[in-house]
Amino acid sequence: MTPVLGDVRKNLELHLKTIDRARREKADLLVFPELSLTGYKLRDLVETVALDPERAREFRDLKTLSKDIGLVFGFVEERPSEKGMFYNAAAFLAGGRILHVHRKVFLPTFGMFEELKFFAPGRNFRTFDTPWGKMGLMICRDFLHISAHYLLFAGGAETTLTISAAPGRGLSEDEGFTSSRMWELMGESMGRFAQAFVIYCNRVGFEDGVAFAGGSFVYTPMGESAGRAAYLEPALFVRDVDLRDVRKARKAWPFKRDDRPEVTLAALERIVHGYDD
Amino acid sequence: MAMTINGPFTIRVLTAFIREELAKAGFSKAVLGLSGGLDSAVCAGLAARALGPKNVLALIMPYGTSFSADMDDAREAARVFKIRSLVIDIAPMVDAYFAAQPDAGRVRIGNKMARERMSILYDVSAREKALILGTSNKTELLIGYGTIHGDMACAINPLGDLYKTQVRQLAAELGVPAKIRAKQPTAGLWTGQTDEGELGLTYAEIDKILYALVDERESRAEVIASGFKKKAVDMIVARMKASEFKRQMPPIAKISSRTIGHDFLYPYDWDK
Repeated sequence: MTPVLGDVRKNLELHLKTIDRARREKADLLVFPELSLTGYKLRDLVETVALDPERAREFRDLKTLSKDIGLVFGFVEERPSEKGMFYNAAAFLAGGRILHVHRKVFLPTFGMFEELKFFAPGRNFRTFDTPWGKMGLMICRDFLHISAHYLLFAGGAETTLTISAAPGRGLSEDEGFTSSRMWELMGESMGRFAQAFVIYCNRVGFEDGVAFAGGSFVYTPMGESAGRAAYLEPALFVRDVDLRDVRKARKAWPFKRDDRPEVTLAALERIVHGYDD
Repeated sequence: MAMTINGPFTIRVLTAFIREELAKAGFSKAVLGLSGGLDSAVCAGLAARALGPKNVLALIMPYGTSFSADMDDAREAARVFKIRSLVIDIAPMVDAYFAAQPDAGRVRIGNKMARERMSILYDVSAREKALILGTSNKTELLIGYGTIHGDMACAINPLGDLYKTQVRQLAAELGVPAKIRAKQPTAGLWTGQTDEGELGLTYAEIDKILYALVDERESRAEVIASGFKKKAVDMIVARMKASEFKRQMPPIAKISSRTIGHDFLYPYDWDK
């Protein structure tokens, strides 16, 4: 999809239409891209589109619809308890309730990106129970950090859901942007080694000349591709997944059983406490 | 070579860019200046594919008859891409001005001609309810080989991230007439001028150096160490620095607590 930059009302309409289509396809869970309710390159518009999930009308509408279909979407979060703190956030709604809100932890601020200038960083990667097993959320750049995947893996995620607004960058002789391969490589690897479903939704369209690459994909817990949407084209990309594949993968290769988070934690503490600057 | 691009995919991206940027601004038509050279022919080809040939108007703006071969090539490009074209001779306006400026040299006259064409493009774009497509490529923009507020002026620029070498690849893919592809690039500021003659390097050389400096983020020393002539690299670095002002909005003196460009920061596509 291509959100309208800075217009929550129009974007809510886009969400409602897409939810209608997804329900006709009998989808159980529908994932929108990063900042789907607002558009990506907001800059000073951030404060004008911020929503409180507990009170916003948009959330009321979407919560009602989530009685029939699970929803994941992106928005700018500002709670009354943290006035002036704007988060690039993802919400997971199901059964008429908010099951989880994830705030983007890794805010890219280099080259063409300037998120730390406008957003506060999130502080956690937490898994949560859903009608489709334990899941974890990431937002765009989070996905490129192995620590994010590891924490969700350690937290027991059977599926990771990532909402993204990744620009296409770099051309070569091959079809597609060279940057798209980077995301697919991470998806394939994390499917295989975290033995979870990896669901990645990326937007399309242009903002200020930047092309968002699209190419949403799903990888299985065996690291096999369950398909990829076309680059650059808007699509309602529907895939059936068999949640039993998590068990199957973890029986064949017990990476999860053999993981030692206490070793990781102790080693990390030694590293972090060893900083001498 | 890393500069080689996938033609069909690049065309998909750039046609979508033209279509979406215009649509967001509420336009469906584009105008562009067609010089008879490579860049504007490629831009015309992209626009025709993006918007449909009927929605593209090419302005052919010769200075009298001094570049009649280029005018023929421009007409040929318009014919091949089935776009509308209109010829407007800029000699009367330019000559009227310089009649009272007897000491003007060829650079001043050339720049004035580029800005005369810009002025006409903007007027015609208002009449046609169309947006102006820029035709400056990445090479020209980086070394500042263009007239500020002249040929660099536009509403959107589909070619600005493609080196001349890559524009050449796209030209073949789009079906730009072979005669245009074989021409020596020229800014057309005076008769006999060629870009490569004036710059002292071929575009192939310039593009390789720029690609290393800009895309690969190599330092001047690294580029020289990898086998490029010091003189060539220094000339390009000096040109990049000297022309930065052409690639940015003019600085605004900041005196208030919130200033346009400094901390009043909105997206170009605000509410679009």
